[in-house]
Amino acid sequence: MQLFSHDHVQVHRHGNARRRFLKTLSASALAAGTFNFRDLMCLQAAELRKQGKSMILLWMQGGPSQMETFDPKPGTENGGQTKAISTATPGIQVAEGWENTAKVMNDIALIRSMTNREGNHQRAAYQLHTGYIPSGSVKHPALAANLAKELADPEQTLPAVVSVGPTYGAGFLGVDYEPFVVQRPGETPNNVASAVNENRYKKRLGLLDELEGDFAKRGGRNVVDSHRRLYSKASRMVLSSDADAFDSSSEPAALKANYGDSAFGKGCLLARRLVEAGVTFVEVRSNGWDTHDNIFERVSNNAAQVDPGMGTLIADLKQRGMLENTLVVWMGEFGRTPRINARGGRDHYPRCFNVAMAGSGVKGGQVIGSSTDNGASVKENPVTVPDLFCSICHSLGVNPETENISPLGRPMKIVDGGTVVDQLFTGS
Amino acid sequence: MAQTALTIFASVFCLSVIISPSTSVDANNKRMVGAGQDEVSVAAKVDDFIESELLQSKTPLAPTTSDEDFLRRVSFDLAGVVPTPRQITLFGLDHDLKKRQKLIGRLLESEEFSENLAGYWRDVIFSRATEVRANLARGLFTKWLTNRFESGATWDEIATELLTATGNVREEGATALVFAHNGDAQELASETSRIFLGIQLQCANCHDHPTDQWQRNDFHTLAAYFPRVRVRRVQTDARRTFEVVSFDVPLARSNRRINRARLFARLDRNSDGKVTTREIENTSIAGFFTRALQVGDKNKDKALSLEELKALPEPNKGRNRSSEYFMPDLSNPASPGERIDPAFFVSKIESPVGMKDLERRGELAKVITSTDNPWFARAFVNRVWAEMLGEGFYMPIDDIGPTRSPVFEQALVVLSDEFTASGYDIRWLYRTIANTRAYQRQARAKDPGDVSPPFAAATPTRLRADQLFNTITSVMGVQENLGRRTLAGSGGNAMYGRGRSARAQFNTLFGFDPSTPQDELTGTIPQALFMMNSPTVNNLIRGMGDTRLSRILREFDDDRDAIAELYLLVLAREPSKNEVAICLKHVKSNDSRSDAFEDIMWSLLNSSEFLTKR
Repeated sequence: MQLFSHDHVQVHRHGNARRRFLKTLSASALAAGTFNFRDLMCLQAAELRKQGKSMILLWMQGGPSQMETFDPKPGTENGGQTKAISTATPGIQVAEGWENTAKVMNDIALIRSMTNREGNHQRAAYQLHTGYIPSGSVKHPALAANLAKELADPEQTLPAVVSVGPTYGAGFLGVDYEPFVVQRPGETPNNVASAVNENRYKKRLGLLDELEGDFAKRGGRNVVDSHRRLYSKASRMVLSSDADAFDSSSEPAALKANYGDSAFGKGCLLARRLVEAGVTFVEVRSNGWDTHDNIFERVSNNAAQVDPGMGTLIADLKQRGMLENTLVVWMGEFGRTPRINARGGRDHYPRCFNVAMAGSGVKGGQVIGSSTDNGASVKENPVTVPDLFCSICHSLGVNPETENISPLGRPMKIVDGGTVVDQLFTGS
Repeated sequence: MAQTALTIFASVFCLSVIISPSTSVDANNKRMVGAGQDEVSVAAKVDDFIESELLQSKTPLAPTTSDEDFLRRVSFDLAGVVPTPRQITLFGLDHDLKKRQKLIGRLLESEEFSENLAGYWRDVIFSRATEVRANLARGLFTKWLTNRFESGATWDEIATELLTATGNVREEGATALVFAHNGDAQELASETSRIFLGIQLQCANCHDHPTDQWQRNDFHTLAAYFPRVRVRRVQTDARRTFEVVSFDVPLARSNRRINRARLFARLDRNSDGKVTTREIENTSIAGFFTRALQVGDKNKDKALSLEELKALPEPNKGRNRSSEYFMPDLSNPASPGERIDPAFFVSKIESPVGMKDLERRGELAKVITSTDNPWFARAFVNRVWAEMLGEGFYMPIDDIGPTRSPVFEQALVVLSDEFTASGYDIRWLYRTIANTRAYQRQARAKDPGDVSPPFAAATPTRLRADQLFNTITSVMGVQENLGRRTLAGSGGNAMYGRGRSARAQFNTLFGFDPSTPQDELTGTIPQALFMMNSPTVNNLIRGMGDTRLSRILREFDDDRDAIAELYLLVLAREPSKNEVAICLKHVKSNDSRSDAFEDIMWSLLNSSEFLTKR
């Protein structure tokens, strides 16, 4: 009985509980006196929140080539013309074009032994965002939403999840954890600024509130109440200075230059600002990694945007003392074929690819696993998607086995299976 | 849209064409399936069942709703539009005792009825799509379905067309369901069951259903109707598209290993020891060959030698290579699994073995839509009832079946049986439900903890994105493009383009899965920000220039009249005394009349009532 109501408390802690759940909950809670249990849950959540853990996902849409990023194979047939450069960590080399990232390698752990089976963009991108492969019967929440549910402060003005560019939603976890999508990083997003002056805007809100009264009395009470909650949250964002976090114009010119003038660079700077302001999860997206042809030139162009943003972000977080509570993950939906195709490109390759992680307990300056010399498969320490997701949860102090109840009453873990890659945190 | 809405209403109110809905047998109108019992008597039976139960539980019935509220409610439900102030006034003045029944009949004949329904089903199907690229078929699907509803297609016909569709997804609207799941047999089995039977079978994919009678085999025998469906990419004149095709290769052949030497001999027409692009032109493997060249052409002579062909990697022996269905062996995922032949789990009908794709899917459509299968009608009735009354006999609406217990079961059964008897006539069902007293009751104040049974009073429900968009264009008096600009910044989470029209963007921002229970629909922050602050909305509510508000202000000097007119326009009702007083106070406290009214209009547009069918 206790467990039963506990699950429901979790699902609907901030959400709008479905009536039958409420019925079940109140009946069972009254019968078993389990409200203490609920209080306990809230306490634990508050404890987690205090630690202020956040995550920044640097998402390489299209599938970044491992050989041209963090697992170069210079001098081999499959390695192609890509050269390797040294990094701040003796013994670790990365591909040419990643000089800024190389400088902060002492804070980065590279996983060169990621392995998976999905080679279709949509399916793999869904899986690498949610931990699950797509299914028509349930909309899986993105990891971002799951983490926000565990970590975010419900009283906060800013949204718990922000994404620079489109991403995956909160699925059945509901609107509180839906990502707030930013189109132009560094500027105040559309519709956040009021169309009229503050005084008049407040008057309008007052008038709106007064006029809602009649409908509430005529049967619209529930609708009006939930609408009021939504509008109070939205208008707080409009009126509060917290939303200034979206506007990067006050940042020093030199720092902005380090992040880079690209959308991705600006996105990284925005990510730091948002995390600083209390946002739990920020995704910054880079497009154009689906390099079936002309891969060397194309990756080099992409890296020219991603590398300064990523390198500066990690250095900046560290300098501000934020890196120990902020996990930065660089990844895409899969890697690319070791063999170079006739058009000078590489095709989709989920069997062996790489991921980079930094911060929040991750021990930097190390490489986890390895690929074979020709890059065709994992040589040692294979890491699956569930392993990666468990490790992310572990780093943020979230239990990956936390269950949420899907709309059909099926318990779903944040991560299904997988084990934490201990080496990420211990270095051995 | 606003224009057409106006026209239909004009014809509704000006020409008093009398249609007696149940008996209208128009020789030119094949829409009339006509076998359905007259809606008033069925509606009365449904009401009797509901009301006698409510009486037993001593639940007081809410009174019949006002003309204003009824007109708005039924206009949204049947046509997806909001009535205009003129229509509200005329309807109120009409003394005909049967005016509601007649209005229902006329709305059902409008074009908007079909558009409204098509938009609903588009959202039902695409909200659960597992293939994001399917978004490119949204527009065509909506058009196709509108036409089908318009021409009076019955629900069994539409279900059959969706289940048996083939062809190019840019030309054949009916392919949407298969395309939405990329032809995947298991996804199609889940969705077929959910959409057409209301039964959630997918738990039985991996294990016997934990809370239902379904077994693992039931799921897989249903999936076995789909192993030969394929969605294939087609490149035509630079326009990317897909087609739904049948893969009718006998199982033995589909699994056979290709003898490459023999294949080479066949392809190398000029026997020069090389296969070139020219030689394979117009053969079935032309598309594959380009790729084979990229992978296998070692010496870069733009041709494949026998050695190069032999060195090509074995093609993936995935499910796409098999023309029969195999149930995965969970303890050994790498094995092919057990072969399963199609059977329909509800009626336990075993279909013939080894059927071709279209026979197979046709057979499935037949057993699903058969009058022997009660769940086909119940699922549809439950859905339509819930959409109109805010709550279904079964909740959630797509989780029904023999082991679930509905509320007011007798009412559901009589409605479903009569719907079946009507030949699954969609308009018959809408007409009947709209004519029930249950549908026409007022909403009433409810305590938060109130768990009294449903249908004693109306439940306010959230308008779907299409209905809301129609309302905004109609209220503002603008066309589909919302004036001149697109909805800047309304881009949501769609990973694949849904179209750039104002309506498509609006749908991205305000859309939701219509299978979601009402109390889980709470709106989002970006929606609130859009309604409050977007230049689109704020420009359209200006009190100056060529806007609706500015015309009202010019036309009505008296503030009370202007307030009443604004309420009629935005909320389709007269304001209460209290509301007039609040608004007057606001006008008085402002120096500028135009500013004050802008604020009032802003408040009405941002009110919860505006977003709600009451």
